[in-house]
Amino acid sequence: MISDLRKLTAKIAECFKDRYYGRTFRCPVCHLELAVVDVNGNRLMVCPVCGVVLDVEEVYGHAVPVVMGVEVHRPQPKTRIHPLATHLPIGLYPFAVLGAGLLLIASILGPVMPGLAPLLDRAPVLADATLVLLVLSVGFSVVTFFSGLRDWYRRYRRRPYAQIRLKIAFSVIFLILGVLAIALHASGAAFSAATGLVDLGSPLAMALAALEIAVLTAGMVVIATLGHVGGTLVFGR
Amino acid sequence: MEFSLSPKQQELVEKARAFTKEWISPNAAKHDRSGEFPLEICREAFKQGFMNPHVPAEYGGTPHRVLDHCLILEEMCTGCSGIATAIDANGLSQYPVILAGNDDQKKRFLAPMTDELMFSAYAVTEPEAGSDVSRVRTTAEKVGDDYVLNGVKWWITNGSVASWYFVLARVDDKSTGFIVPADSPGVIRGPKEINIGQHASNTVRVTLEDVKVEAKNRLGEEGDGFQIAMKTFDHTRPGVASGANGITKAALNIALSYAKRRRTFDKKLISNQGISFKLAEIMTRLDAARYITYKAAWLFDEGFDNAREAAEAKWFAADVAMQAAIECAQVLGGYGYTSEMPAEKLIRDAKIYQIYEGATEIQKMIIVGKLMRMKEVH
Repeated sequence: MISDLRKLTAKIAECFKDRYYGRTFRCPVCHLELAVVDVNGNRLMVCPVCGVVLDVEEVYGHAVPVVMGVEVHRPQPKTRIHPLATHLPIGLYPFAVLGAGLLLIASILGPVMPGLAPLLDRAPVLADATLVLLVLSVGFSVVTFFSGLRDWYRRYRRRPYAQIRLKIAFSVIFLILGVLAIALHASGAAFSAATGLVDLGSPLAMALAALEIAVLTAGMVVIATLGHVGGTLVFGR
Repeated sequence: MEFSLSPKQQELVEKARAFTKEWISPNAAKHDRSGEFPLEICREAFKQGFMNPHVPAEYGGTPHRVLDHCLILEEMCTGCSGIATAIDANGLSQYPVILAGNDDQKKRFLAPMTDELMFSAYAVTEPEAGSDVSRVRTTAEKVGDDYVLNGVKWWITNGSVASWYFVLARVDDKSTGFIVPADSPGVIRGPKEINIGQHASNTVRVTLEDVKVEAKNRLGEEGDGFQIAMKTFDHTRPGVASGANGITKAALNIALSYAKRRRTFDKKLISNQGISFKLAEIMTRLDAARYITYKAAWLFDEGFDNAREAAEAKWFAADVAMQAAIECAQVLGGYGYTSEMPAEKLIRDAKIYQIYEGATEIQKMIIVGKLMRMKEVH
């Protein structure tokens, strides 16, 4: 079961990798995975992490990079907003997912475990906190997105990189998922505004709660991928 | 004497080269790192007609001449010899059936392999019998009309994915060949061996525990096994040599591409005589290795005895590949020693050519054996 799940995850990751990276090679200096498609018409490419200038030629389908120089002076934005802004959504979002998950568990266990009643009284507070965390997280992701674009323009000189393409696409996906999750949560149709819990007697409420959890989980995968790819742009492989 | 390829052969080479560039080379590093069996690539190779190259036309195959097959293998091994081995290993196990099988056996075991993607494996090597095939200890005891096989087969290429095995076993001390379906009760496949190179190739241990094999699955007569196994090598060794030539070609091209672009001491690396002579030497050795290989293959195709030439090709091409891979890493300098560049993989992959299908020393024994029967060399 676990190995099947791992295989499935690997397959999905492979599909995304094929979509955004295509054929790859590794920077011989910092070992970052680079896309062959990003090599320019003069066969040149600058590694976004270590700054080496690579002359990449394909030999029998093997990409053979040759280090031609190093881009030592790389412009940095004066105020580094992106690294600061990026950790807020990444830090807050998992707690929003945790909050929604706890509310769902409490909704299921509440009727069968009367001892939970004092805790369930505080469910509306948790529901509100979850919404606030979601709004903050998704709201700051907009700041992260534009500050990231600014970094790409300045530090990476708008050069094409598979990592940047993937980050832009995944940021948009995260934004859509986040807005959807906020709408579902704020509407009170899934988690009741009054009790903070799911009305187990209503199939619609249950379906919407399941949808919200699914959207939040998908968002979690997307934001984790964004963090991972961003990390490789800073630290290399 | 004709040294150029025919238009048909040229077309075949170009087709194999395109397949290699599209399917093998781009996936070489991935499979080398993961060790995952390249099933999707094999599927595409099957579709394009690169698998089962020896199955006769009457059993649904589109057989290539050995020389043509060598040309294809050389191209594919330029991309990745591990993946190429996975694609080509069927040929090694199919040949004993082609050579010694009857019509019924060919229909049952060869024909289905041309209809859909299937694998088979040559299970001869044992823990205590590698190059010395006559030492195999697997027994086949005659029980009624059937045989019961017991023994351990080692380093069996495509062993995990095979539908059937060519197994060499002893019947009352007589070496005998059998076709053993992989789903026979008592056939136990071991885990994938972790070798230093050719990670895409699936090499496993296959244990035979009281495996019942019907007499109709015996190849030839009892006692024919050793001859069948040896004759198979006359057919397949030029192909192995071609694989080694593919590695040499990859090493040469990578070193050449690098040396022409890398600058050192204010000039291109290739302008340094120490480097350029290395490339000249690899080129010369590659040409020599190819000519022996092609001759061994041509002799087989023309129906001549090619045992000596096949042995010469196999050991020489393997040594040239090993040397070329090491020199390629040397040309690349420090980058040649990193796992991110293709040179180190070529070194790991090349080594096996000096070992499998008869180690270099065995090939030299074969050549000396032939020399001893010659009055003089012309």
